[in-house]
Amino acid sequence: MSPLSRRRLLTSAGVGAAGLGIGGAGFLIGQETAEASAEGTGTVEFYGAHQAGIATPAQDRLHFAAFDLVEDDPRALKALLEEWTAAAAEMSRGEMVGDVNRMPVAPPDDTGETVGLLPSSLTVTFGFGPAIFERPALGLGARRPAALKPLPPLPGDELNGLESGGDLCVQACSDDPQVAFHAVRNLARIGRGTVVMRWSQLGFGRTATTSRSQETPRNLMGMKDGTANIRAEDTGAMERFVWVGSETDQPWMRDGSYVVTRRIRMLLEVWDRASLEDQEQTIGRRKYSGAPLTGSREFDPLDLEAETGGKKVVAENAHVRLASATVNDGERILRRGYSFTDGVDQSLGELEAGLFFIAFQKDPEKQFVPIQRRLGQFDALNEYIKHVGSAVFAVPPGARPGGYVGESLLG
Amino acid sequence: MNRLPVRAVLCLGAASLLALFASACGSSGSDTAPGAKTLSFTITDAGCDPHDTKVAAGPINFAIESASSKVTELEVLDGETILGEKENLTDGLEGSFALTLEEGEYTVRCNGATDEDGTLTVSGKLKGAGSPEVEAAIAEYRQYLAQNTNELVAQTKPFVAAVVAGDVAKAKQLYPAARIPYERIEPVAESFGDLDPRIDARENDVPKSEFGGFHRIEKALWEEGTAKGAAPVAKQLQADIEELAAEIKDVKLQAVQIANGANELLSEVSASKITGEEERYSHVDLVDFKANVEGAEVAFEDVQPLMEGEDKQLATEIEDDLATVYASLEPYERNDDVGFVPYTELTKADTRKLAQGIDVLAEKLSQVPPVIVRVENG
Repeated sequence: MSPLSRRRLLTSAGVGAAGLGIGGAGFLIGQETAEASAEGTGTVEFYGAHQAGIATPAQDRLHFAAFDLVEDDPRALKALLEEWTAAAAEMSRGEMVGDVNRMPVAPPDDTGETVGLLPSSLTVTFGFGPAIFERPALGLGARRPAALKPLPPLPGDELNGLESGGDLCVQACSDDPQVAFHAVRNLARIGRGTVVMRWSQLGFGRTATTSRSQETPRNLMGMKDGTANIRAEDTGAMERFVWVGSETDQPWMRDGSYVVTRRIRMLLEVWDRASLEDQEQTIGRRKYSGAPLTGSREFDPLDLEAETGGKKVVAENAHVRLASATVNDGERILRRGYSFTDGVDQSLGELEAGLFFIAFQKDPEKQFVPIQRRLGQFDALNEYIKHVGSAVFAVPPGARPGGYVGESLLG
Repeated sequence: MNRLPVRAVLCLGAASLLALFASACGSSGSDTAPGAKTLSFTITDAGCDPHDTKVAAGPINFAIESASSKVTELEVLDGETILGEKENLTDGLEGSFALTLEEGEYTVRCNGATDEDGTLTVSGKLKGAGSPEVEAAIAEYRQYLAQNTNELVAQTKPFVAAVVAGDVAKAKQLYPAARIPYERIEPVAESFGDLDPRIDARENDVPKSEFGGFHRIEKALWEEGTAKGAAPVAKQLQADIEELAAEIKDVKLQAVQIANGANELLSEVSASKITGEEERYSHVDLVDFKANVEGAEVAFEDVQPLMEGEDKQLATEIEDDLATVYASLEPYERNDDVGFVPYTELTKADTRKLAQGIDVLAEKLSQVPPVIVRVENG
């Protein structure tokens, strides 16, 4: 069946829509477009050298899900990724999933909640967890990248096992929350029998900027977050810190990346009681302007050496200092996190809310792990946060039309 | 297996779709059954044109063109149930939808026209309906219905007698066995108006004064610890079960309904058994769970011979998934009157595993009705 755009289905009930599906399968290698994402009308190309959803300007909403394989069957894993790829490409173009959607006696392939909605810059990004390389029956042991290891225990971890780890991950980002939800829901349905969802996280607002075209958003602490983030336009930094290059021991990961996710619960009630000065000292930035304590505008340089009255202006335990590249041997990560709330922490009667931290990098062992080790130990912010969920996944390169994500590993 | 009239069953999907975005039961495109006939209508200020029309039973494409700026929709109704419609067709716009219709008289309505209602007379039988394979499938399932209604009557009798005699211990002991035959054929029982709520409603499903049947007695036995006052409820249950048995003897069945029934049974498992809501006082939910699965298995097996060619692969997968579900139940089976551990002994990990097995099986079983309808419609 010819692709049927969801908008067209609504406006003309699909009559004669054959061949009019929008967003043909143009193959733009290494290029990701997100036109008019502010209005939520953009279409981001699914296919490309890199998977979409990493360098793509961060969309407003997130639905992230981790899955476990039901059986260690390499053929089932391959078939799943083929089907997931096809469905993700359809959804990214704003088309309905599958081709049985109008047969009265059949359950429709697509679950339908995005009918009438625009593609809304949907990106769907897939990853492999370390555990799949440890299962003899899958036969992937020799292809495990050295960079993919379960994260070591880190200071300040209060992890909940069921909100951590996973064999596979799906990151769906969109400017419309229903479009992101729809993507995960339909992929979970397609995967039924092969995978079972382990945990999932909705994010209602982006907390990071990944493009110079975007304003720096605020996290739930009211602070601008990600001022110093890597920008996709800085291709040098992307090559150096994010995309896997020739240095890898596993050529199948070339042009891929590694994603670390951390569910960081914020103790908002405690934070809200901290004085403005305390809040600003904790982070090392001004609350409203986002400027470093050593400047007056957001993008003024952060001067870690500046002193006043014999004390550092940016305290030794300020978050920006400990997270800065200077302190971390020049290492940086591409952050792409989202604010979340999941109702009430019933044991406390407090908001269950925080930051779902997502970071892409070449090598978590060299990038995220040392940064977090330092933060977990010394960061003044630790008084207000708890890391409760944690996962790491190898994000393979993008797929070509006709191919599938993960083909370089499973093909 | 729904309270809609039988001939509307082929369009069940429409009921829910209508509520969401007023789409039709089906539409043109590659999903349309091959060999569908096309009926063309023009919407005019005066009414639907043609006003009255005749067609042979089977899949029908309704092609609609509007020549009116005032009248913008056309509906096909069975009585007052909308089977399919096309809305928002202003002057010059075209639209279509597809329906499979059985013999009967239907209304074609152009809402707001001078003369709104025309008649659509459908004659003859659905092409595949009379085929020996389809008839054999229906006959097999009828036999299963008969067997289970007989068993239901037989098992309910001593149970009701124990309740009437005030013997709580004995009634409790007999309760699970009476539930099994009902749970195996529940979707059919549900097709008879208020019989199912009378027999099987849970508290809060119905107004307090109407709460009766199995679960009212279950509450008395397990929660209240007495059969006092339950005797009239038990006697009514016996009467309702006998009425049900009589109704089922004459039930009109299509093969696709049997296939749909298998789905319904698994939906029952997902909605109320795996959550422990069905048997909330006695906690014998796993008894119902297994009975629902058994009923789904038989329904599926009866229509399975109609699945040919590439559909055979689907049938094989369903058989494997059924085996997985039964295997997942095994650890909880016990050699006692109930046959299973109480629901309250299951951990979250246990119910999760059971639920996943059902989800996998149900997703595939839901693909069977379209296969069967294709066969049934020839």
